[in-house]
Amino acid sequence: MTKQSHRIQGGLIDRGNPLDFRFNGNPMQGFKGDTLASALLANGQKLVGRSFKYHRPRGIFSAGPEEPNALVQLRSGAHQEPNTRATVAELFDGLTATSQNHRGSLEFDLMSIIDLAAPFLSNGFYYKTFMWPKAFWEKIYEPIIRRSAGLGRLSMEADPDIYDKGFLHCDLMIIGAGPAGLAAALAAGRSGTRVILADEDFVVGGRLNSESFMIDGIIGSYWAQQALAELQSMDNVRVMTRTTVYGAYDHSVFGALERCTDHQKTSRGKPRQVLWRIYSKRSLLTSGATERPIAFGNNDRPGIMLAGAVRSYANRFGVTPGKQVAVFTNNDDGWRTALDLVEKGVNVTAVIDTRSKTAPTAIAGAEIIMGEEIIDTAGRKGLRSLTLKSGKVIKADCLAVSGGWNPNVHLTCHQRGKPEWNSDVLAFVPGGTLPTGMKIAGAANGTLGLFSGMKSAVQEAQKIVQELGQKPVCYDIPSSEDEPQNGAAIWHVENSKKRAWVDLQNDVTVKDIQLSHQEGFRSVEHLKRYTTLGMGTDQGKTSNIAGLAIIAECSGKTIQEMGTTIFRPPYTPIPIGALAGRARGKDFRPYRLTPSHKWAVENRATFVETGNWLRAQWFAHPSEKSWRDSVDREVKMTRASVGICDVTTLGKIDIQGKDAAEFLNHIYTNAFLKLPIGKVRYGLMLREDGVAYDDGTTARLGENHFVMTTTTTNAVLVFRRLEFARQCLWPGLDVHMISITDAWAQFAVAGPNSRKLLSKIVDTRFDMSNEGFPFMSCGEVTICGGTPARLFRISFSGEMAYEIAVPAKYGNSMMGVLMKAGQEFDVIPYGTEALGVMRIEKGHAAGNELNGQTTALNLGLGGFVSKKKDFIGKTLSQRPELNRDDAIRLVGFKPVKSDQTLLAGSHFITKGQEANMDNDQGWMSSVAYSPTLGHSIGIGFIKKGHLRMGEIIRVVNPARGVEVEAEIVSPHFYDPEGGLQRG
Amino acid sequence: MGEFNLKPEPFLGGYERDFGSISIKELNQQAVVSFAIPNGGETKAKKTLEKLFGVSCPKVGESELSKDGSLRLMRLGPDQLFCLISDQPDTHAAYRDIDQKLSQDIYTTDQSDVWVCLEVSGPQTLKAMERICPIDLHPDHFKINSVAQTTMEHLGTIILRSAKNTYVLLSASSSANSFLHTLETSIKNIQ
Repeated sequence: MTKQSHRIQGGLIDRGNPLDFRFNGNPMQGFKGDTLASALLANGQKLVGRSFKYHRPRGIFSAGPEEPNALVQLRSGAHQEPNTRATVAELFDGLTATSQNHRGSLEFDLMSIIDLAAPFLSNGFYYKTFMWPKAFWEKIYEPIIRRSAGLGRLSMEADPDIYDKGFLHCDLMIIGAGPAGLAAALAAGRSGTRVILADEDFVVGGRLNSESFMIDGIIGSYWAQQALAELQSMDNVRVMTRTTVYGAYDHSVFGALERCTDHQKTSRGKPRQVLWRIYSKRSLLTSGATERPIAFGNNDRPGIMLAGAVRSYANRFGVTPGKQVAVFTNNDDGWRTALDLVEKGVNVTAVIDTRSKTAPTAIAGAEIIMGEEIIDTAGRKGLRSLTLKSGKVIKADCLAVSGGWNPNVHLTCHQRGKPEWNSDVLAFVPGGTLPTGMKIAGAANGTLGLFSGMKSAVQEAQKIVQELGQKPVCYDIPSSEDEPQNGAAIWHVENSKKRAWVDLQNDVTVKDIQLSHQEGFRSVEHLKRYTTLGMGTDQGKTSNIAGLAIIAECSGKTIQEMGTTIFRPPYTPIPIGALAGRARGKDFRPYRLTPSHKWAVENRATFVETGNWLRAQWFAHPSEKSWRDSVDREVKMTRASVGICDVTTLGKIDIQGKDAAEFLNHIYTNAFLKLPIGKVRYGLMLREDGVAYDDGTTARLGENHFVMTTTTTNAVLVFRRLEFARQCLWPGLDVHMISITDAWAQFAVAGPNSRKLLSKIVDTRFDMSNEGFPFMSCGEVTICGGTPARLFRISFSGEMAYEIAVPAKYGNSMMGVLMKAGQEFDVIPYGTEALGVMRIEKGHAAGNELNGQTTALNLGLGGFVSKKKDFIGKTLSQRPELNRDDAIRLVGFKPVKSDQTLLAGSHFITKGQEANMDNDQGWMSSVAYSPTLGHSIGIGFIKKGHLRMGEIIRVVNPARGVEVEAEIVSPHFYDPEGGLQRG
Repeated sequence: MGEFNLKPEPFLGGYERDFGSISIKELNQQAVVSFAIPNGGETKAKKTLEKLFGVSCPKVGESELSKDGSLRLMRLGPDQLFCLISDQPDTHAAYRDIDQKLSQDIYTTDQSDVWVCLEVSGPQTLKAMERICPIDLHPDHFKINSVAQTTMEHLGTIILRSAKNTYVLLSASSSANSFLHTLETSIKNIQ
């Protein structure tokens, strides 16, 4: 166990609560309230990772989400998560972390040899090299480059954690619980406004925890805790810590990630993270600002950090990142780091200020150097010294760098808002089109002073309260002061001979940016993509402005003229698991069960997904060796006697109203106005463009009452289409509809013995004779002594057949009753495969034929298209192109050699012609082995098919390399006259 | 005919479970009838409803409970209401009864078997609903007797707030298992 060699007095950590953790296997100790980064620094661990491209040693750079360097793999095994920012990872007892992106140990990374080849690996090198031989690129060069580059690695195991999602609503969404956010929340909360205050940190207060500010006469961090206590006592305020608002979306909707158990060793079966969708009426962005560095020679050594971060580690975590700290700044803010460190007893060796002016303050024990710049540093795995332009060398093991502060404008860009340059604060501030209902206050808006920031937040909150129609309660702005800034526009030290790093995560240097400009990549967008500046997990939070400034210099433009790239969601990385939420495994998506599902499971059904439904595909007999055995048996026995199939999944729509018949007459291509009560009719719907849309039967149960059936997969779409027609096309018609798909368990009872079977269960007062209930009849009946049912005399199989529907709650029992009643007829259940085989034998079109490309003419349903009435799709169905003489027609195909198998998707080629697209005559849409006929059959579309009966054509399937010859025949292979179904 | 007997089975087998601060109960004896108001027939329909059930026709998004608590009208749209009738072992008989009473003043459809009805209650219910319900259920916003149509985990749902901490959820009976899983997961995740 290492000693906490760099722990100093003070801080907001709980020293009575020590926490053991391991980094690269080494046992260490921190305290509750530490981040992994602060605990590593407390233990003197400076080297924490290797850079992306050159594998240079890197240390902790920041104290927040902007961290470009300190990316670690957290936890182990399947729980392992790569690229975790140590600066925001809350320490817990038992935490294990490992460094990433090195071969060999962290200290002796074999891949660091790449750094020696840096002159040959400037940005875009991969566009210029590895050009030949061409074949090497994919198999040799790219794999090598990919293996060399990159950050952390996945465990390659399934993520055992669970995640959830949720929805929240508020009047005012406040993003950021720093001083401005807290003050705004107090002002709005006291006014009774429903407020959500979210912050990514695990404590509220933001910079107040990292500074020595006073508010209302008390230390800022204490004021923040008081504010939190008051907010938590309000029913109308919800404070969400550990919650990152990562995206601003349309209609004031925000995406937020709450890390529920990331600060615990285990999740104990609870969601690790929750992805929230937050609906707000207004929002206030108080996300603060991020400090930016200054680029100079070898500015990437472990120990070189942002000045505000050094202050944060000292004040909040009671840690000094170094024993001899130097400060390099271009503004007054950097001096506060020196002051706070001295106050904590840390040795500050020097303060180097780029400005040639009088020092803002004296720093005890420190050498003050004004108007100077650092051009180089020394120390491979940890900073040892700095070299100034003058040649002076200063010893330091930590350098705190401050180049000014950038407002955190990210969320303001999510709806294309383009930040604007503000020369007063030398930074981009929110501009352009802001997300709907969003206001910005405090440092996020460029108001960097503490008092001014809180004041602006309170004022904006009160304005919002008024806009919401509520009365703002008087709230005195807490007393505090604005800290001086006085920054200078220095982004990098010119004439540094050594590489000066702008983007630490992507190893982009000042020279890289200059080279990009030289090579013609001069817009900010091109710069980003060519150099990778601003990419990666940190998205350039500390590098973007310097990059823009340098390219502006190269272009002879101002930063304002140069412009900026904008940010898109997410603000910080979101785990894929959180995006997936609870949708995984069996419950990845909802599934629907047919009413007889339980019976089917008990009777060895194999299931298939159709839409969201699980349908029985076939019912295997123990003696059967393959699915074909089962399906063949089901077809044969149904055709020989009787079979039962659960067809509940077909869409069922109850349509009522005085104008229901007229409405259907407009929907279907064929006439429905005069359909008699007690009759069923097949109907075809077209799209507006004249192409076939859906088909099914519609039964008339009463003068104003119809029941429409649709195909299973189109049930919702057809219902939606009918609603559109009802509400928008013919609002004057008295017609009303509601889905009853789930209301009725419906069973096809097919086969020559179907009537006999049903006669055993339909109550005797109903006439089941062929005369009393002929083909295409329907009626409401009772069965089994009074249970309500609906009976339809329709056939999909071509057999004498019925569909009988009972209330769904009786569905499982009904299957048993039907099987029991059919025992004497050797009844069998059949699944969707047998259903499909029988419909192909009968030549019925289904989804494969109604594929969005075919017309009524193509389908052989031209006779169903009325010329006397208007209906959806009529006008465009009359287009000449859709009515060509050589239009494709649905016909049947049988192989010339009966032992050959037809394949769906095959194309038809006239014999003697080459098999190419020019000679393509059509395609095979559905095939099956017909146990009835004893050979393979198919239906498909071929040009002028109806005139080519008996022709032998080539059936070519280039994808499978199969070709057979087939004869064009009628699509009605089975009982073409339809005598069987009519009984 | 006595040889063949049909037995109704609740979609979730009469599910009932207490999770401590939240409980779920399948309301499997609740008849659900859809009322569609004919074009131009709203005045007449309202009078009929008031006369037959002693319940005034609620506004869209609201519901009205009969004095004896046995019948509730939920207004789902300008021309659509749902009528929930509790304690009906034979829901179809309840539908037939209503259908005959309403005659042609209102078009009716038996919806009893379309929906699985789950009553979720308890002090933590709102917290659990946050995980699946996109609509604002804040007590000041979604008051007692409020009703809304929404989706929960991709499943169409009608939600009714029947009491302070009690909600009745109606979702498609065919996906009842998925819907129950959704609810159970939400409860487990917040406890």
